[in-house]
Amino acid sequence: MDSQIKLEFEDVKDHRDAKLVRFIGDLDATNVETVLEKVFALLCDGYVNIIADFGKLRYVNSTGLGILLHFSKSAQEKGGSFKIANVNENVYEIIEIIGAMSLLQIYDNLEEAMAALK
Amino acid sequence: MGQLRIEVTQSEAAPEITVLRFEGDLDNASIRNIGSSFQLIIEKNSTYVVADMSGVSMLSSAALGEIMGGRKALVEHGGDLVLACLSLPIKTKLTLLGANRIFRLHSDIRSAINAYKWEFEGKSEVFTLSMPPALRFVPSARQFASRLAGLKGYSRRDAFRIETIVDEICNNAIEHAPADSKRNVALTLSIDRRKVEINVINASDPVKLETLRRMLSGAKEPPQPTIEDRRGRGLALVKLLSNGLDIDFSEQGTRVHATKLKEE
Repeated sequence: MDSQIKLEFEDVKDHRDAKLVRFIGDLDATNVETVLEKVFALLCDGYVNIIADFGKLRYVNSTGLGILLHFSKSAQEKGGSFKIANVNENVYEIIEIIGAMSLLQIYDNLEEAMAALK
Repeated sequence: MGQLRIEVTQSEAAPEITVLRFEGDLDNASIRNIGSSFQLIIEKNSTYVVADMSGVSMLSSAALGEIMGGRKALVEHGGDLVLACLSLPIKTKLTLLGANRIFRLHSDIRSAINAYKWEFEGKSEVFTLSMPPALRFVPSARQFASRLAGLKGYSRRDAFRIETIVDEICNNAIEHAPADSKRNVALTLSIDRRKVEINVINASDPVKLETLRRMLSGAKEPPQPTIEDRRGRGLALVKLLSNGLDIDFSEQGTRVHATKLKEE
């Protein structure tokens, strides 16, 4: 059975080109394509600044990390950004070990991520 | 039920373990007999005792105190006393008296013996899963590995790392199998109180095998992910999370073996 992941979307006040995306569940090889489609749809709709709330993201593997890097690159190419907040310590360790810290914009909380929006 | 009967035997499954079976009322009148039983056991140099409580109908505080004294004496001799097969009323009474914080409680004798082997003999337990070569089965396998590690006393961090190792190795096995392969992926977890050994065996695709060999020989620590590297470096991550990784290639199949030591 595919791993369960749910995405919830919210507008970001004062930023018409931004969207808050809450990731809920596990991000792995069984559901990356679904997540890819949904987030790319946002980028294509002009929401080039994405803030990903990982507060309820329990697990991510290397495949999941791969698409996060892809989101980051794609958002930057469109003049935007992909920011991540509220990463739990286990997921943080994976990002750190795999060497992706310098490639992703990670914030302790949503307030800091939003404050960093241009 | 009435007068207490006490039976002392050695476990057939583990002769070094004494099974002390109580039948009847553990009341104030039985205190002397309880004490004598423990004395006899210690004199025979048998120090690990499982008390079979399945026949106990009543437990007084004084009798419990005597049993606790018996445990203390066993512990002083390097052993232990655990309780098994408690009825709900007896278990409830023990909990109310706080004795569940002193005694380890087991549902049956076999669980008590397995716990002894786990802790004192370093015995490992082996679990084997066989799953079709499809990614959708991997989440269940990794979550099982994580819960198993947690049940066996591994920290949450260790359980997460083990889950990740299983996930990455299984995903890799499936992605590198021949496209038309129907051969199941075999995942074996061997866990003891010091380490977990993870083995995954699957069919090999000769072309993909070559890619895997090149990827592994080039995998560095830490990996150097790039933005373009959409799929990530699963096995490189396994190398970093585990305490050992080896892979056997053959035309018959690929075996990936990882070891994860329990963090102290």
